[in-house]
Parts: sequence; C-alpha cells; structure tokens
Amino acid sequence: MIEAIPFLLQGLGTTVIITFGSFLIGAFCAVPLALARLSDIAPLRWLATAYIEVVRGIPPIAWMLVLFYGLGRYVTLPPLLAACLALGAVSTAYLAENYRAGIQAVAGGQWEGAGALGLSKGDTFWRVIAPQGIGVALPPSASYAVGLLKDSAVASVIGVSDIAFRALTLNQQGNPGLPIFLAAGVVYMVVSVPMAVLARKADTFIRTRSAV
Amino acid sequence: MFEQWIQWLPGLLTGLQTSLAVTGLSLLLGLPLGLLFAFGMISRTRILRQATILIVELGRGIPLLVVLYVVYFGLPDGGIVLESFAAAVVAIAFNTGAYTSEIFRAGLLSVPRGHIEAAQSLGLNWTDEARYIVLPQALRAIVPPLMSYSVIVFQATSLGYAIALPELLNSAYQIGSVTFEFLSVFILAGLIYAALSIVVSRFVDAIHSKTAH
Amino acid sequence: MIDNQQKRTEGAAGTTDAQKAPQLQPKDIHKEFNGNTVLSDISLDVNAGEVVAFIGPSGAGKSTLLRCVNYLETPSSGDLLIDGKPTVKIASKPTRNELMNLRRQVGMVFQSFNLFPHISVLRNVALPQERVLGRSRKEAEERAMELLTRVGLGDKADARPSKCSGGQQQRIAIARALALDPEIMLFDEPTSALDPELGGEVLAVMQELAATGMTMLVVTHEMSFARRVSDRTVFMADGRIVEQGAPEQVFGAPREARTKKFLEAVLER
Ligand SMILES: Nc1ncnc2c1ncn2[C@@H]1O[C@H](COP(=O)(O)OP(=O)(O)OP(=O)(O)O)[C@@H](O)[C@H]1O
Ligand SMILES: [Mg+2]
Repeated sequence: MIEAIPFLLQGLGTTVIITFGSFLIGAFCAVPLALARLSDIAPLRWLATAYIEVVRGIPPIAWMLVLFYGLGRYVTLPPLLAACLALGAVSTAYLAENYRAGIQAVAGGQWEGAGALGLSKGDTFWRVIAPQGIGVALPPSASYAVGLLKDSAVASVIGVSDIAFRALTLNQQGNPGLPIFLAAGVVYMVVSVPMAVLARKADTFIRTRSAV
Repeated sequence: MFEQWIQWLPGLLTGLQTSLAVTGLSLLLGLPLGLLFAFGMISRTRILRQATILIVELGRGIPLLVVLYVVYFGLPDGGIVLESFAAAVVAIAFNTGAYTSEIFRAGLLSVPRGHIEAAQSLGLNWTDEARYIVLPQALRAIVPPLMSYSVIVFQATSLGYAIALPELLNSAYQIGSVTFEFLSVFILAGLIYAALSIVVSRFVDAIHSKTAH
Repeated sequence: MIDNQQKRTEGAAGTTDAQKAPQLQPKDIHKEFNGNTVLSDISLDVNAGEVVAFIGPSGAGKSTLLRCVNYLETPSSGDLLIDGKPTVKIASKPTRNELMNLRRQVGMVFQSFNLFPHISVLRNVALPQERVLGRSRKEAEERAMELLTRVGLGDKADARPSKCSGGQQQRIAIARALALDPEIMLFDEPTSALDPELGGEVLAVMQELAATGMTMLVVTHEMSFARRVSDRTVFMADGRIVEQGAPEQVFGAPREARTKKFLEAVLER
C-alpha cells in the first residue's frame, strides 16, 4: 500500500499537464471566440454562440471519447494530446463567456471616450477595454481552472496515465480500492484546495481594488 | 448518416432514460443533503460546522470520477457492494449535496436578518422560523441556480461510462464498438446532451428574467 | 386624546401598594461585544401601564438595551425580571423554553418593520398566533382582522406588505405584535424610516395604545412624542442611564450637563 503512493504521485505531473495544457488552449482560443461572440457581423456572432452553447452542452468525457475513438479512424491522437484538446475545446467555450462578461462590464462610455481621443478600434480594445475587463474575467477563470483540474481526471478513461488512472491500475493489480482511491482524492485535494483559495484571494483582491 | 442515426436512436434513448433516472434520483437524494450541509455550515455548534465544511470541501475538491471509483471499486472492500446504477446515484448525490450546499447557504443568508429577528421576537420556534419564514423566502434565491445545477448533474451522469453504467454515452460507445462508426454515433449522442442542456438552460434563463422584474 | 398626566397619576396610585413589584426590571444588565462594553450595569423599574421613552445620541446603547429585554441580544450578565420573577435563570445562557416564555410576554416593533414579504398582510398577523398561541386559523384571522381594523388597515388585509406604504407597514407590524397579546411592547425607533407625515400615523396608533394601559418601552428620536406621550423619559449615553424622570423635568430642566448638551443639539435642528 505504501509503495503505491509514489506510483500514484507520478501521475500528478500528467494531471497538471492536462490541466495547464487545456487551460492555455482555452485562454488563448477564447479571445477570438469572445470577440466573435460580440461581433457586429451577425453570422460570426451566431457561429460563436452556437459553438459556446453546444460545446458547453456536451460533457467533457464525451469530448474525450469523440477525439480519441471518434477521430480514431482518421488520425490516431496520443491520449494525452486528445485529452488536452478535448478539455481545451471545452475551456475555450467557458472562458470565452468569462471574457465576454469582462468586456461587457466595461462601460460603453469608455469606447466613446477613447474614440473621441482618436484611438483606433484595436488600440481602444487592447489598451483601454481589455485591461479593465481582466479584473472581471480573471476570478471566474481562476475558479474555472480549479474545475478543470478535477475534470482532467476524466482523461483516465482514454488511458492517460494521470492520478485517477494510476489509482485504477493499482486497484486492478489487486490493491484494496478504498485506500487507493481515497489517497488519489487526497492528492487532488492537495492541489485543488490551494488553487481554490488562491482564486478566492484573487477575487477579493480585485474586488476591493476596483471598488476604490 | 441520418438513416444510421434513426437506426441508433432507440438504443441511445434507452441510455438516455438511464441518464435521466440517475439525474432524478441524484437530485432527489442530493438536494436534501445540500440543505442539510447548508444548515451544518451556518450552525452555531462549532464541531458541527467544521465537520460539515470538511465533508463539503471533500465533495468539492475530489473529482467526481474519483468519488465514483471510491463508491464503485472502493466500497466493496468495506463490504458495501453497489451495482453501477446505485453507485452512480450515490456518488453524484454526494457531489450534488456538496455543491448545492453553497447555493442553499447563500439562499438562507439572503433572508434579511431583520425578518429572522422579527420571527424570533414573535416567539416562533426554530423549526417554525425555518419552515414559515426563512425557507419560503430563501427558495426564491435558491430555485433558479438549482435548476441550472440540474443540467450539470445530467451531464455528470455521463461519467457512469467509466463504471459500465448503460447510460447515454455508454450506449453510444457500445453502438460504436459494433459499427465502428464512433464519430457519427458520438456526434448524435453529443447532440442529445446539448439539446437537453440548452433547452433547460434557456428555460431557466427565461424564468430568471421573468422573476427578476 | 387622553391626558397622559391624568393617566400617570392613576397608574401611580395603582402601584402604591408595596407588595406589587414593578412589571419589568432589567437589573445590572451588562453587555459587551467582543470586549467592548456597550451597556454597563443598566437597572430600571418599569411599572405596568407605564410608557418609558429612551432618548440619547447614536451609539448610546438604546437599541441594545431594548434587544436585551426580549433576548434578541443575550446580556453578558445581569438579570431580567418580569413581575418580580427572573425570566432567565442564567442570564447569559437562556434555555429555549425561557426564550419562548419571555417573547410571549414581550412584543417588539422594529425600525425596518420586518414584515414577511412572501405572505399577505392578514397572514403576517395571523400566522404567529397560529404557531405560537395555537389559535385556529379562523380564530387567528378574525383577531388579525380586528387589529388591522383598529390600526386603520382592514382594507389592506389581502395585499402583500410591499404594496403598503412605510407607515402602513409599521402599523401592520404593530398589529402583528399585538395579536399575540403581549404584556409589554418594545419599539425601536418605529418612525425613523418614515416621512414625518407617515410617522405621524404610527405615532397616533402608539399613543392610542399607550392610552389603553399597555406597558411600552420606546426608543425614539421624536422628542415631541417622548415629551407628550411618555410617563418617563430616560436619557442614555455611552451605555449608561445618565438621567431619567418625568418628561417635563428631563426636557424642561435637565439636571445633567450631558443631557442639556444633547437636548440643545437636537432641539436646535
Ligand atoms: N452586533 C453588534 N456587534 C458589535 N457591536 C455592536 C453590535 N450591536 C451594537 N453594537 C455597538 O454597540 C453600541 C451601541 O449600539 P446601539 O445600536 O445599541 O446604539 P443606539 O443607541 O441604538 O444608537 P442609534 O441611535 O444609532 O440607533 C454601538 O457602538 C454599536 O456599534
Ligand atoms: Mg438604535
């Protein structure tokens, strides 16, 4: 049982890679998606809305299976990549909604004010709107990252050797399941609780700062 | 493609029934649990409060899939053997309780302090105060987010795939493993998930904007 | 209008017989919040039928004292006697039963009305009677109707509280408390949240109640009400009773410099 712990912990790296990998994909791809969602061009807006709604409407584990088994006929993705892409696609949709809320929270007067100063639309967005919107978008995105850590366990069903998968392996090798899975749960907690605390701290920090 | 879909649909709908049954039962057990946790978290008894917070943090900090593994693969070591359906309900209900406790707590705390003091000064006892004054008012703040949460529960039932529960996703997988049309059948299953989720979410939004007036 | 002068002499005559203890006696009530003393050893004798007005600067502890009288706040130490008997054995540890008994005898009206927004005006007044006194629904609603009519709001019975003006809500709150047949009524700034005109409606109801011989403790910023209606005015500052006496004395010839300063500041406005 004690020997099992190092084996379990080796999965932590993989879990972290899935979490960060998919969060990075999402954080990056959500920018154009959020802009499309707020675009003046109706079809673009519809497409973005459809992506966000549909992707969020389908559970992450289903995305995992789609990319791994569904695409399996055409390309064989390494499980780790499939997991990152699947969760990346999902986080893109969620983070885009956070970004949108951030952008919309910045008062419309800011656009007009910047326009009156002769700033271009691009400059206005990147230099005036985005820096203010980040305060609104960041805290929910940080909590989303915590959620992503827990969702990453789903990667075990396509054979990614993360914490959950290693716990399952140990159990199938004949180790008693209860302590193994509880230990796995504790490992997740050890990472997710500090992350959640940090996210909450960031939230209150930003709130108090922007309240002044 | 559509012909295949029509052919597969009955099988998927049977799976959907299981998903919905797990959703319903998990909510039925999980919501009272969430309310209980909420009362525990605002209790004046310190031990009770801390114990509840610990349980809730466990429920929120451990991935649901791992909780599912604990219940399905782990509990048999303690002599409790559950089949996949019951295991899924137990795990998801626990998860629901942990997550919705925060919704209940916020709802209970949304009732103005003055109303509670008024109830106390009128001499209402604790249970009457909860039943006639606090809960009816708190429900307004609680019901909309709980309905949104039910969508999350529905989606969470797909984790049953990992313990061979014949729910929607697993049914799709079974069809795929016979026909090798994984992509097509997963798309169909995905559309079913999305359709239900979107419809319920829209419905909740509609109610929400209506009551907001 | 009842002449309170006359009523007071009657009340005083009634209590001359020495056996009869005052109806309400907070004794050495001490209250701290996290080490800050908010009430220091307050003692008071309130006779049946007496109307006591509490005035004083913000933060003096008036609300806290009132809230200690029905244990919405638990005193840190001291005793609370009703009819000469302690209401709570260990002041800082009231039992559930002691609280129920105490609150049955003492009604309270808040600055912010605190009507229950999710039920009708009639149900606001009837529900506590059903739950606390075990009255039947019919009985409770009849009594509620009677009281609502008495405060001039019989026609609002079926409305939601939010459809009533502030003054109406406060009169409903008074009816709700009265419906439980309390022996003592507490009012914490019942008109502070109201326009003068609406406050007047409430004060009229309170004055009428005083005339019926109800024992009343009223925290108020309405100096003219305190002066006109109270039998005794208590001036509090810094968690202490600085001075008390007949309103004519406290307002007309305050003994303490602190009282004088306060009254000058208030009456100047
Ligand atoms: N729950 C509490 N926790 C901590 N301090 C409190 C609490 N309630 C009251 N206090 C403090 O006790 C003191 C007395 O407050 P209280 O409300 O009794 O004054 P008051 O005379 O009613 O004033 P006001 O005229 O403003 O209503 C104040 O300094 C207040 O800050
Ligand atoms: Mg006060």
